[in-house]
Amino acid sequence: MRRGSSAVHTRVRSQLAILFLTAAAATDAAVQAALPLHQQIDALVAAKAGKVPLAGPADDAEFLRRATLDFAGEIPSADEVRAFLADKAADKRARLIDRLFAGSRYAGTMAGRFDVMLMERRGEDAQWRGWLEAAFRDNKPWDVMSREMLNPNFADPARNGAGHFITKRLESYGQNTVDYPGLTRDVGRMFMGVDLQCTQCHKHLTVKDYKQVDFQGLFVAFQNLKLQTPNDTFKVRWTSEGLVTKEMEFSSVLTEIKGATGPRVPFGQSVAIPTFEKGQEWLEAPARPKNTPGKPKFSPLAEITQRLVAPDNANFTRNIANRVWFLQMGRGLFEPLDLAHSENPPSHPELLDLLAGELQAHKFDLKWLLRELALTQTYQRSSVLMETAAKSPEELYVAAKERPIAAEALVRSVLIATGELERVGKLPKVERKKDAKDTPRPDTLSLEEMTAAFQAAFANAAREPELSVSPTLKGALFMRNSSVLRTLLQPREGNLADRLLKLKEPAQIADTVYLHILSRPPTAEERAEVVAWLARQKSAREETLANLAWALLASAEFFMNH
Amino acid sequence: MNPPRCTPWEHDHTRRQWLGGVGGALACGALGGLLTPVIGEELKKKEKQVLFVWLDGGLSQLESWDPKPGTDFGGPFRSIPTSVPGTHVCELMPRLAKQMHRLCVVRSMCTKDNSHSAGVARIQRGDPKNRGVIYPFFGSAIAKLMGPTASNLPPYVWVKPGSGGFKPEDGGFLGPKYGALAFGDGKPPENLLRPATLDVAADAARNELRSALNQRYAQRRRAPNTEASSFVFDTAEELIRRADIFDTSRYNPRDIERYGRHDLGQQMLIGRKMLEAGVRFVKVNSYGWDTHGDNFNAQASLVGKFDQAFSAVLEDLAATGQLEHTLVVAMSEFGRTPRINGSAGRDHWPEAWSIAMAGCGIKAGAVVGATNAKGTFVQGEGYDIGHMFHTWFRALGIDPAKVEYSNNGQPLPIAHEDMKAIPGTLA
Repeated sequence: MRRGSSAVHTRVRSQLAILFLTAAAATDAAVQAALPLHQQIDALVAAKAGKVPLAGPADDAEFLRRATLDFAGEIPSADEVRAFLADKAADKRARLIDRLFAGSRYAGTMAGRFDVMLMERRGEDAQWRGWLEAAFRDNKPWDVMSREMLNPNFADPARNGAGHFITKRLESYGQNTVDYPGLTRDVGRMFMGVDLQCTQCHKHLTVKDYKQVDFQGLFVAFQNLKLQTPNDTFKVRWTSEGLVTKEMEFSSVLTEIKGATGPRVPFGQSVAIPTFEKGQEWLEAPARPKNTPGKPKFSPLAEITQRLVAPDNANFTRNIANRVWFLQMGRGLFEPLDLAHSENPPSHPELLDLLAGELQAHKFDLKWLLRELALTQTYQRSSVLMETAAKSPEELYVAAKERPIAAEALVRSVLIATGELERVGKLPKVERKKDAKDTPRPDTLSLEEMTAAFQAAFANAAREPELSVSPTLKGALFMRNSSVLRTLLQPREGNLADRLLKLKEPAQIADTVYLHILSRPPTAEERAEVVAWLARQKSAREETLANLAWALLASAEFFMNH
Repeated sequence: MNPPRCTPWEHDHTRRQWLGGVGGALACGALGGLLTPVIGEELKKKEKQVLFVWLDGGLSQLESWDPKPGTDFGGPFRSIPTSVPGTHVCELMPRLAKQMHRLCVVRSMCTKDNSHSAGVARIQRGDPKNRGVIYPFFGSAIAKLMGPTASNLPPYVWVKPGSGGFKPEDGGFLGPKYGALAFGDGKPPENLLRPATLDVAADAARNELRSALNQRYAQRRRAPNTEASSFVFDTAEELIRRADIFDTSRYNPRDIERYGRHDLGQQMLIGRKMLEAGVRFVKVNSYGWDTHGDNFNAQASLVGKFDQAFSAVLEDLAATGQLEHTLVVAMSEFGRTPRINGSAGRDHWPEAWSIAMAGCGIKAGAVVGATNAKGTFVQGEGYDIGHMFHTWFRALGIDPAKVEYSNNGQPLPIAHEDMKAIPGTLA
């Protein structure tokens, strides 16, 4: 789509013109061309906020922590905090973002964030993760990624990991049968931002846009898949397609009204099903002796993919624009993220149009969009409110929203804070028997095992999206009593506990724990609080210092990306 | 084909909004999400509690509450008189026969689910009309409607054989926060015990500092996230403080004998300790009641254990006066067929079966409803699980005609809207 070609863009432009052209010197088009996306975003957010005061910019330490968590999946080290605070250059924030985007942890971190979003903790898979990491390393456009996930090329080792999106969902788990409706639903949720689950059996009762045919048309393609085990050609689990020769009939359980559809992208047109002479349906006929499932000439999956990932499917573009916005801002422009429909308008309609249009114009370049969002004042605002919470509605983005820190980023952050990342990272991976009665000594846990312990304590259950900060009793018990955490607070050469033990002045101790754990220096009040607290303790010094570090690690501030 | 379901997470943001205004009540005590918050202060003061005994697989009504000795399907056991003149139960329950004056038995249950996979969940969710959402289990419903007691212990605790941990799925559309905290094999959850090397006073001191940090942090930010963090740490504190509940070595050996040295006995005893400690809703679970083969030997063994454990807990709750404010229910997902199959077993029978209740709000000594002479079908009106949910909510002082859930703004009844409490069961 050409930039500014739609009526919507015209509207956005004219608003921007009002905002920026008080001098009225330049023309509309000139402004449009001159303003980078992040400035256009800020203008729209400011316009919508109106008289509600915007929070000031996050201070350097808060910004450094936020961006490092987002794009490197960990908190900054104390040295990085010191260096960033000492840097007097005006463009240091933009340079930090560029450094993080070029850094060695960017691809893995983004892969992890997208993994949690797309797979919702269904379990780990090396090929899938490898494909995701490569996609972010090579900055593969989202439309290409989507096609590779929806209609996977299982024979191509460079791309077959993408098939995990489908194959994992075709596993039966627990007492459930293969959940074809669940797969169909997730395609709608993840790629179009529409949750059509309720329309499997009848039209949606509260969303008038969602009809039964919207579910059934996708279902035609996805219920036609069959999970197959790896073989010589396909090194991963793969799916075969069956023959679809006629439209699928369905009827509403409420009204008993009948319908029929071929493969159909929600809200689109049904694809005509070609007829073949008997025996001519197959590209490769199924072979009984070898038990190969064959390959039909007509692939509903290919038809769906081609039409779903397409410029004229607005939901496809708006979904990813909204999801990336959500990842960075903690709140979708429409929410829930999978309930896009005409009666659930976005908080900032022009902004969502702008993001979707620009993303399409930039050929679904996620790195470009992430960078533009990271450069906005909206992203860089402080999380400290100017007004009461009641007077600062979240959907106005007048302050940064606190976001959860995923278990994988949490474990790295705890290890960085305690100065233990290097030691734990060097410990060998140990093959342990699952039924082993004796639990391994906590100080021998490898990074992988340590991560698993944090996932067990802090990650959501499978199929439960991680969308907001939600502390749990399980996590609190882990923080309070787990030997895994406790071992990290024991002094070892060069770690935080060791450094603290060597410090004489209580004020120095306060400064050090704040810098290492909360990634900022304490205020005078906070320093005094720590000094006074230390003076009251009667335990052995080593124990007291471990408890001090613990209090900061267990604080709400440490647990959130604020 | 999988059943259609509208899952709870899409409502997460709404839940967070409820929490916005409710402060420290997060996850448990929140009245948010109820259209009509009528759980009065009065109710809270009385600290009503629930003991829910779940006999998974199907207690045979004929070998327990509704014996039909000497009939075609009656089986080998006799019936014995009870402390309520005129009421008889199966001879496998001699101790419970003496508790009959405290119990109310409904003999005319007639439900719909004939399979465990559907029945266990449907029955415990109260089988409301299909609204396209998954309803909460009874324990999650109570956790939502009543919250924790003043003890601040988790409101819904599940003592069970096998695995423990946090069971979010019971919460249904209310969300995982209202799920069960399960004590597998009666054992406490992971990380419950304070490490031996950590001094109690030092632990308190570090938590005091954590609280101070949280308070300052939250001063100028949105409160709910920090409140949620503080809440889970405080609840953890309460659990850690009461870890003695699980230390069976400290139990009175006489109690251990009285409740029975078997899973059900010991877990019932832990359940009683939980109620004493102030847990709002305790579910005690027993497995293995699905006696398709050798029904009579199997039920004789199982009912014997149930008789011992359930009578002991009734006695103890009555002796301490706790029974007055504790609703007690013992049931399965269905009963067992009168017809005896080729393996001397009884199969699944939702058509005519029994549920026993006692305590808070329940009419003691009552027998409600009846089955026909051979026990094959209900005589007169049969009651579905929805009637029971109405009965239990009423017994706890919750009016299902006035209290509703709010699911993303959609009002949802807390119990099946076409049903009512069972006449004759309420005090």
